[in-house]
Amino acid sequence: MNLAAYVGRRALLMPVMLLGITLLTFLISHAVPADPVAANLGEQSAANPEIVAAFRHQWGLDRPLPQQYLIYVWRLAHGDMGMSISTHQAVAADLGQDLPATIELAFAAMLISLAVGVPLGILAGVRRDTAIDQISRGSSLIGVSMPVFWLGLVALLVFYAWLGWAPSAGQLSPRLSRPPAVTNFVVIDALLAGEGDVARDALSHLVLPALVLSAYSIGVITRMMRGSMLDVLGEDYVRTARAKGLPGLRVTLRHAARNALLPVITIVGLSFGGLLSGAVITETVFAWPGLGSYAFRSATSLDFPAIMGVGIVVASVYVFANLLVDVAYAVADPRIRMG
Amino acid sequence: MLPRPLVRSPLAVGALVVVAAWFVVAAAAPLIAPSPPLAQDIANRLAPPGPAHWLGTDPLGRDVLSRVLYGARISIPVGIAAVALAVLLGTLIGSVAGYAGGAADEGIMRFTDLMLAFPTVILAMIISAALGAGIRNAVIAIMVAWWPSYARFARGLVLAARGREYVEAARAVGASTFRVFSRHILVNIVSPILILGTLDVGHAILTFASLSFLGLGPPPQIPEWGSMIASGRDYLVQWWISTFPGLAILTLVLALNVVGDGLRDALDPRLRRL
Repeated sequence: MNLAAYVGRRALLMPVMLLGITLLTFLISHAVPADPVAANLGEQSAANPEIVAAFRHQWGLDRPLPQQYLIYVWRLAHGDMGMSISTHQAVAADLGQDLPATIELAFAAMLISLAVGVPLGILAGVRRDTAIDQISRGSSLIGVSMPVFWLGLVALLVFYAWLGWAPSAGQLSPRLSRPPAVTNFVVIDALLAGEGDVARDALSHLVLPALVLSAYSIGVITRMMRGSMLDVLGEDYVRTARAKGLPGLRVTLRHAARNALLPVITIVGLSFGGLLSGAVITETVFAWPGLGSYAFRSATSLDFPAIMGVGIVVASVYVFANLLVDVAYAVADPRIRMG
Repeated sequence: MLPRPLVRSPLAVGALVVVAAWFVVAAAAPLIAPSPPLAQDIANRLAPPGPAHWLGTDPLGRDVLSRVLYGARISIPVGIAAVALAVLLGTLIGSVAGYAGGAADEGIMRFTDLMLAFPTVILAMIISAALGAGIRNAVIAIMVAWWPSYARFARGLVLAARGREYVEAARAVGASTFRVFSRHILVNIVSPILILGTLDVGHAILTFASLSFLGLGPPPQIPEWGSMIASGRDYLVQWWISTFPGLAILTLVLALNVVGDGLRDALDPRLRRL
């Protein structure tokens, strides 16, 4: 099978997955006993049957479930995710505003995890059972055992309140105004507008939450890279390269590490979902105006259109990230395509 | 009783001691806590750690040490219960899928794939928000979010066991489908699944604390680590309010993970290099 056919077949599965995701999101958010009427109208209005009936009719809550679902999918296909019951804005617009902040955070955290985890994993694999290996093992275990919300608070306490190195929570200093929205990625928008100081301020706000968020995936990537390195270092071609008299560093990096990176690609895709989960919690700690804060607000107010929007977007991002990972894997390792 | 390589690693033994200590704390909290977890000492509210209150007091003048100790009584059982329920449900669904095969297998596994596409905390958050905050609902949320990975694991094990000679032999001598499934297949996949579940208890405690931190756990007066940390958010300067419950989570979960790591090494020599 050639690469195009492989990618094509994987891409064809996407719409099916997405449809399944919409169905599942719809079922979860409707199969629950909670009543959005009480959560959104307040006690006084909820006691008035006329207001309740009008509310139910307005949001289509008085129709049978299958019909509600079909209407939902039909609108979704036209880019309409409905109106948020609590913000009174189009869910698609809300998400378009909040998703970039989350992607910015998750992407920065992923970059940090790779920049730290891959070299650390290589080093731990090469210097197996030495002090550096033990330290990397210990710090990975601590990374995956750390409550991310607590780490965030401690980081704010130490670097903001005590040392004053980091700015306070939030995406920008209050004295600055957001750059004109083009992509909704604050750093990129600021650069596009030529506002260098705003971009620098946004970056400095990004550092602490991204570091906190990366704690978990650094641990995962380091462990994976180390294990994969150990596998590869035992291979014949590495021994051959050494026997040929190639310098040690060259064998480590060119022959071993390049191949050891392959399984790590998969983990990167999988841990992207974990990053999105972590982002939800990190965002609430750092008052980050992203999808996580939005998800939390809409889940606690039982804002079904918003909850479904978040679920669909997040699951789609995850599925899409995994598609990219599979494609990257197939590009890197031709054997995969044959399977 | 314990696998010998586990006992030989000093780190794993140390971690085992920490886990055991937390279990003792959970069982004996009323005996060892200096004061009841809800007792308020209003004159000493927000007191820093000192001789009267070793770990300080919170905004309502409650003793942080006592509340941290009592917190173990919630987190440990919840972590175990959530994993046990998810393992039970996942094993049931996954092994039925693997044993039945065909369209049923295909349908069930595509459904678990879908479930796995949702980041667990977001899924758990939606579920526990919809069911209402509380310990029981948080456990249900973790169960619903986690069963698919156990289902996938159990299915793989059943598929492997199904082809074994002893299963064929049982079938050949006329054992019923149910008997083959329950007496020959299920018993042989139980121990790897139990091990996997044990490894996940720390993670479950962490997830529960996260939900609780988001306000989806027990009501605030209950001494629970995640909500204690949340209650310290507005008191950054009074660092002890959220620092100590966080250290409690970290030490317990870290110790569980170290034990789990050692367990994995000891039981599966192939993985020892990892």
